[in-house]
This record gives sequence, structure tokens and C-alpha cells, in this order.
Amino acid sequence: MSASNGSIPSPYPAALFSGLWKENPTFRLLIGLCPPLAVTSAVKPALTMGLSVIFVLVCSNLVVSLMRNLLRPHLRIIMFTVTIATFVTICDLFLKAYTPQMSEVLGAYVPLIIVNCLIIFRAEARASRSGPLISILDGVGMGAGFTIALCILAGVREIVATGRWFDIQVMPKGFVPWLALQMPVGAFITLGLILGLINVMTARKEA
Amino acid sequence: MLSNKLKYFLQQSWLLLVSSFFFGLLIAVTNAALSDRIEQNRIAKLNELTKALLPEAERFQPVEAGIEVQLPDGSKEKATIFEALSAEGQRVGWSFNARGTGFAGPVELVLAVDAGFRKIMGFNVLASSETPGFGDQIKADYYRKQFINAPAEKLTLVKSGDPAAIDAQIVAITGATVTSQAVLDILNRFILQIKDQMQKKGLIDNVGK
Repeated sequence: MSASNGSIPSPYPAALFSGLWKENPTFRLLIGLCPPLAVTSAVKPALTMGLSVIFVLVCSNLVVSLMRNLLRPHLRIIMFTVTIATFVTICDLFLKAYTPQMSEVLGAYVPLIIVNCLIIFRAEARASRSGPLISILDGVGMGAGFTIALCILAGVREIVATGRWFDIQVMPKGFVPWLALQMPVGAFITLGLILGLINVMTARKEA
Repeated sequence: MLSNKLKYFLQQSWLLLVSSFFFGLLIAVTNAALSDRIEQNRIAKLNELTKALLPEAERFQPVEAGIEVQLPDGSKEKATIFEALSAEGQRVGWSFNARGTGFAGPVELVLAVDAGFRKIMGFNVLASSETPGFGDQIKADYYRKQFINAPAEKLTLVKSGDPAAIDAQIVAITGATVTSQAVLDILNRFILQIKDQMQKKGLIDNVGK
């Protein structure tokens, strides 16, 4: 356990930061793509969704990590799902109580976090084989990476489709909004272009 | 033999059983703590949207009249009618929810009519998933204003006309004929059926029939 002596780097920073860029769930691993496509027509709902996912991811990672030694291999998926569903339901109730407007905008996509493969993936790959602290850090890092990706996508779509960013007018008066980007097709186009851009950037770096 | 099976079952699944119990408890506690607030939010939103239609209204009192509206699929839905009362306790109108299917999914409206059920006082959209920029212009003032003071009778949709004219003809939203028609269908269905039943039950006069 006495890490960070030069030869073996401490696993904690890596657990926290890998989700931000190197293993960014949306832009690098391409998992859990339902919310990035569905709720990124504006930044506010995207941010709400991101924070909800961070909450669910951290809680489910912690609980799964605590019961990792009790899990039976053939029952682990159902245990993950029950855990995740619990925290998603709690999160959904909180949104309905404290931000009813956002809850309405997000609609069914909050309950659908239950089947977001990012959360099951982290439970399987990290939390069920690591200690509680590292699992929490992993949840925060992965959740933050996911939230940042959602906000970038939503920022581009909101500005181009409405001329606004976070509900504030940012484009000049003569700007003609391109409404198509607010529709589902806009999510695919924006995500595709951003992924292409990232591939070009990383290819240059490696070359 | 049986006890062996039971033992095996419990051995395998005790964690699921125990954690389900605790998770259920956690959700129940959260729900108990928040359900009042969620219900208040719902009522506050409905009141706010209805008050915008009936500015004189101070409070809304549900009417127990057992009024039912027949939906296109043949099923009947109980409609809750609210009597809008002014600060002095005078009736200033009626309001009720209406719903149906739009272009992209369910559309839920709140509707208000005047005290005699002769004029529509307007509608607000509670929930809809119509196409941004096209169908969701049913929330826009220029479309909704056509309904304010329109007669509480059968409304018809026209492709071109004067949106400023206050009559039973509603000018459709360009590029969103299906949504415009859907809203009209919802209004026609709920207004006509509810008006008819309220007249039969003596809640409003039969004048003009």
C-alpha cells in the first residue's frame, strides 16, 4: 500500500484524472452515448444531466466497492443494476423537487441513467475490484469527463441553433440560427465533427 | 431436500435480498421527504399558467361533477374542472386540463374559458415534445393569441387568413400543420364535450344553444 515512491506511482491521481481526457467516456471511449445525443440541445440541461451522472456514479461506485467481496459472479450485474437504479430514483426525486423545470426538460432521460453503460462499466471495471477511495475518485473523474463532454457538445449546439449560450444571447443580431442542430440530427453531426477533430489532433501529436 | 434448496437459494441471494430491502427503505425515505414539495411544484406550475390566462382569478376550486371526456381511442377520461374565483369570491371563469397526441408525442394543455363558457380565455402548454422552431411555436404568443376571446365552439384550421381576427378560424403555423391541427382537435374535443356536460348538469346556462 506504500505507493508513490518513484517506481510505483500512486494510483489515486490516475484514477481521478484519466476520465477527463485520456479515457474520456464520451470522446475517447465512446460509451454511454445516449445522454450526449439526447440532452445536449442546450447547456443548462446538459449540465444538470452531467451533475446527476456524477452523483449516481460516485454513489454506485462507493456501494459496489464496499460489497465487492460479497458479490457472486453470476449475480453481480443484477446487484449493479439494483444499486444504480436506487440512486437514479433518488436523484430523479431531488430534481423534481428542487429544479422542476430541468426535470421536465430532461424528462425520461433521468430514469434512463439506470441503463447508461458508463455507470455499469465503471462498476464492473473499477469499483468491483478496487477500494472505496479509489472508486470514489474514479467516479468523480469519469463523471467530470462526461459532464465536460456534454457541456462542449451542448455549447456548440446551443450557440449555433439559437445564438444563445446558457440562455444568454451571445451571437450578433444578424445571426441566422441553424435550427437543425437543435434536433436529434444536430447531435449526431456535432458529435461526429468533434470526434473527427479530436482524431486529427491526436494523430498529429502521435506522428 | 427442500431445505437444502432453500439453503442454496439464500446462500446465493442473501446480498440481493438484504440490499434490496435497504435500497427500498432509502427510496421510501427520500420520497416521503420530497413528495410534498414535488406535489406543490406541480400545483404551483398549473396555478401560474392558469392565472396567466385568467388574470382576475385568485384561487381555483375543483368542481366535483363527474364530467368525462371521450378520447379518440374510445376510452373515457375523467376531467377535473376548476372554478376560478376572484378575490371577492366571484366566478371569473373555468379551467381544465386537456391532452392529446401531437406530431412528436403527447401534448398537454391547460385551458381557460369565461364564466359563462362562451369565450375561450386562452391556453398554455404544460408539456409537449413538438419540433423545435416549428411545432413548438404553439407556445408562441402569435399562435396562442388567436384563441383568446375566440368563441367556445368548434374551431377550424385555415392555412391563410388574418391571425389578428378573433373568430373560430385559427391560422395554422407555417410548416407545422399537423401540430396546429392536433392542438385544435384537443381543444374541440375537450371544450365541446365539457361544455355540453356542464350545460346538462346546470353548471352553466344554456344560453346560445
